[in-house]
Amino acid sequence: MSYEDEFDRLIKRIRELEKKTWEYIESEMRRAFTEVRREFESVERMLSPSWSHDGYLKPLYSIRDEGNYYAIYIDLPRVDEGSIDVRFKENKVLIRAKLKERMKLSPWSGRGGEIGFTEYREVIEVPVSRIDPKRVKVITRKRFVKILIPKD
Amino acid sequence: MSYFREEFWGDFLFAEYEDFRLKSPGYAIIAVPDAGLVGVIGASHIIKALGMREVGGIDSYIHLPPIAVISRKEVRLPVRIFYRDNLLLIYSEFIPPMHALPQLVRALVHYVERKGAEYLVLMSGIPIPNRFEVDKLRTYYIATTPKALELVKGVDIIPFENGYLVGPYALLLKESVRLRFNSIILLTESFMEFPDPEASARNIQIFSKITGLKIDVKELLEQAEIIRLKARDTMKNVVHNLAQMRKEYEYAVPLHI
Repeated sequence: MSYEDEFDRLIKRIRELEKKTWEYIESEMRRAFTEVRREFESVERMLSPSWSHDGYLKPLYSIRDEGNYYAIYIDLPRVDEGSIDVRFKENKVLIRAKLKERMKLSPWSGRGGEIGFTEYREVIEVPVSRIDPKRVKVITRKRFVKILIPKD
Repeated sequence: MSYFREEFWGDFLFAEYEDFRLKSPGYAIIAVPDAGLVGVIGASHIIKALGMREVGGIDSYIHLPPIAVISRKEVRLPVRIFYRDNLLLIYSEFIPPMHALPQLVRALVHYVERKGAEYLVLMSGIPIPNRFEVDKLRTYYIATTPKALELVKGVDIIPFENGYLVGPYALLLKESVRLRFNSIILLTESFMEFPDPEASARNIQIFSKITGLKIDVKELLEQAEIIRLKARDTMKNVVHNLAQMRKEYEYAVPLHI
């Protein structure tokens, strides 16, 4: 092998290493930004009430990494199961579901006063680039909803 | 409401609105938020079902958030003390910051012992990832003394043999061992991040069996969905605290047993 070939191989290897290093830095930066954003969102969620003056409640939910898919668990007590409406937009899950009856917080708390709540509403972001609705499974059990979203 | 007596245990103020002492055999329950809010949901039901009186409270201007609980137009302290005959119940919907827990836990175990409690019964959840699919919940126990172990003789529950406990209940157990106090914890399978009244009901049924105190859980089960709905904000805040305490260690398998 000539010196030129050896040199070309070395340059190629350096470029490959450079590319991999940049890819690694980019993915780590993206991960760090996502974590910081999630932390901000979590603090924001904590500081805002789980109900709105517009008459809707925000449900409790959690997202779990379950191997080949993400599982979203949503707690929907007193929901009318027939009214659960789950839609997808890019990497977001939009959920809306009617309560069995109009609810008020007034028997339990001075806050929220006379607002009547009639439904749940939430938008949940999932760490995938785009959700394919055809590959999503929605399971309802005892006023809980489990949504299985395959990873990219 | 005025204070009948108050005293400081370290940085914690223990206030009593009236004089009381437990009849024998005295039982104490300490309920703080943990997995699925199992302990506090259960305790709240016990207070209602037995018609327990609020006889005191605990506060700390240093270690607890600046909170006043307003209950039936009365200003109450963030940690509340309820009493009836031979049962004392200490109830909080807030987890004190981690640095304050050891001091508070020490004071609590001393306090219940001084008020005449012979046993401390703790009730909590043991989170299982597949709770969504599980209908029949199993209950485990850990006892700190042979006398406490006697309580669960003949009761259909399982000893918790190996694993980790994380949070205030872990500290209460360690403090009980240190003081040779008769404590037992009931851990029923539950959600981690969602309120779980069914797990609370199961704990109460076992508590009834071991203490002989009759507490009907029918209403608790009927109201389970309303409780889940009411408890959303409390649960949301508690999940954040549990994550800070590294509650996920409970899922880990110890390498050495």
